[in-house]
Amino acid sequence: MRRFDLTTLLLLLGASALVWAIAAGLCTLVGSTGTIGWPSYEIAKLRLNEHVLIASLVGAALSAAGVAYQAILRNPLADPYLLGASGGATLAAYAWRLGAFGGSILAAAVSPQLAAMIGATAAVAIVLAAAGPRGRLDPVRAILVGVVVNSVCGALFLLLNALFRDQPGSGGALTYLSGDIQTTASHAQVLISSLIVLTGWIVLLAMTPLLNVVRLSEDEALSLGVRVQRARWTGLITASIMTAAAVAVSGPIGFVGLICPHVARWFVGNDNRRLLPVATSLGAIGLAVADAIARGLLRSDSVGTLIPVGVITALVGGPFVLVILSRMKR
Amino acid sequence: MTLLQIDNLRVTLAAREVLAGVACALAAGEVVALIGANGCGKTTLLRAALGYVPYSGSVAWEGQPLAAIARKTLSQRVAYLPQAPTVEPGDTVLDVLRLGRSPFGSVFGIEREGDETIVQTVAADLGLLDLLPRPIESLSGGQRQRVLLGRCLVQTPRALLLDEPATFLDLRHQVDLHRLLARLARERGIGVLMASHDLNLAAAHSDRCVVMKAGRVLAQGPTDEVLTEAVLSEAFDVPIRSAQIDGERVFSVPSKIA
Repeated sequence: MRRFDLTTLLLLLGASALVWAIAAGLCTLVGSTGTIGWPSYEIAKLRLNEHVLIASLVGAALSAAGVAYQAILRNPLADPYLLGASGGATLAAYAWRLGAFGGSILAAAVSPQLAAMIGATAAVAIVLAAAGPRGRLDPVRAILVGVVVNSVCGALFLLLNALFRDQPGSGGALTYLSGDIQTTASHAQVLISSLIVLTGWIVLLAMTPLLNVVRLSEDEALSLGVRVQRARWTGLITASIMTAAAVAVSGPIGFVGLICPHVARWFVGNDNRRLLPVATSLGAIGLAVADAIARGLLRSDSVGTLIPVGVITALVGGPFVLVILSRMKR
Repeated sequence: MTLLQIDNLRVTLAAREVLAGVACALAAGEVVALIGANGCGKTTLLRAALGYVPYSGSVAWEGQPLAAIARKTLSQRVAYLPQAPTVEPGDTVLDVLRLGRSPFGSVFGIEREGDETIVQTVAADLGLLDLLPRPIESLSGGQRQRVLLGRCLVQTPRALLLDEPATFLDLRHQVDLHRLLARLARERGIGVLMASHDLNLAAAHSDRCVVMKAGRVLAQGPTDEVLTEAVLSEAFDVPIRSAQIDGERVFSVPSKIA
C-alpha cells in the first residue's frame, strides 16, 4: 500500500465524499410515502434536507465514533453506545416527554433533542468518571461500567413507563427505544449537531495516528512516544460528544457505529488514517440508504406506518455481527 | 559511549520492594543480558529504565536524567519490546513496521519520504520484504518476532530494550534472533539490553551480563567472568554445572543433582 502522504489523504477524503454524494443523490429518488421516481428540484431538495442529510449526519457521526471506540477500547465489538450514550439519551428524552421534570424552568428551556444530548453526555460522564479513577482510564473497566449504566438507564426507563402508566404502543414509549430520522428536530438543532460532529470528526482525523498506537498495550504505546492516557481520554470524550449530538437528532440507532467501521476495514485495512474517512462515508451512506428503504417499504400494503430506521439497521446489523464473529474465530 | 546509567534504583509495587538498589549500565554497541529467576525484577528493571513504573534513584539516558526527557524524545532514542507484544489481527506486516515511525509522526499521520525508506530498509535487512502485505497473524512465531523487532528498528533507536525476546521461539529461531541482535550491536552501534532465560544463548551472544536475584544485582561484568557455576547456582537456587563443548561454555542442571 502506498505511502500515506498528503495526496493520499486528500484522494481518500475526495473519493469518500464523492461516493457518499452519489449514494445521497440516489436516496432522494425515494419519496416520504414510498414513491420512487425522478423528483423535481424542489422535492429533491426537500427530501435531501428532511431525510438524506440528517440520516447521513447521524450515520457519519456514529461510524466515526465507532472507529475511535473500537481502537481505544481495544475491542472490535465496541460501538458508540457501549459507554452509556444510548441509555442516557433515551431515558432523558423519555423523561422530558412524560413531564418528569415537572413545570420546572429546565423543562421549558429544554427540547427533547437537548434532553437526549444532556442525558447521553451525563451517562458517558458517569461511566468515564467511574472507569478512570485518578485519571487512569482502563478500557475493560470502562466497558463494564458502560454496560451497568446502560442497564440502569433501561430499568429507570421501564420504571418511568410503569409509574406514568404510559402506553407502550406506537407514539409512546416504544418510539424511544429504536432510533429514527426525525423531521421534528429544528433546523437550528440539526445545524448545531452538525457543527459538533464536524469539529469532533476533525479532532479524530488528527488523532488517527494515535488511534493506531493505542490499540497496542500501554507499554508499547508509551515506547512509541504516545501518551496513552491523554489519547484515550481525548478520543473517548470526542467520540462520545459526537455520539450524543447524533443521538439528540435521531435517538439511539443501533449497529451503524459497530458495523460500518468493519465494512470499511474490508476496503482499506486496519490503518485508522485510511479507515476513518472511509468508515465515515460508509456510515453516512448506510443510514441514508436504510432510511430510504424504510420510506420505500411504505409502498407495500402490509406496512401501515413508517418503520423506524433503527429497526432496519438492527435487522441488517444483527446477522452482520454474526458474520464478524465468525471471521474473528478464523 | 554510555547510553544508560542506572544507580541505586528502587521500585516498590503493591507494597513489595521489587528492585532494591540496582546499579547497572548499557553502552553503545554492546549486548547486555539480564539474567535471573522469575520474579527477580528483570522486567521491572527494563520498565523502570523507561519510566513506566514509579521509581527512586537515578536513571539517565546519554547523561540526561530520565525525568527531564520528553516521552516522544525518549521513544526516538530507545525502543522497547515487551515479553508479549500486541498482535492485532488484520494488521499487515507493513502496518506493524510503519507504527515504528510513530515517534516521528506529524498531525494526521502524514508520512515523509524518508519514513518509507527506513521501513523498506529495515524490512530488507530483516528479510521481511516478501512478507510486507501478509497479515501478521498468518506468520510463524519466528517471523512475527522478527516483524516486531523490525518495528523497534524502524524507530531508529540507539538502544533496544527487549524483555525475553526469544520466549516463544524454537531453537533455530532463538539462535537467529541472538545473532541478529549481536550484528545490530556490532554494525550499527545499538546498545541492546535484554532479559533472557537462556543461559547458553546469553553466554554465546552477549558481551556483558547482569545477574539478578530478589531485586538486587548478584553479579555483573563481562559474560565470561560473570557466568560461573557459583553465581548461577545462587541466582536460580539450583545447582548449575558448566562444560566446554567445541570451545564454548554450556550450562545445564544435572538431573541427578536437581
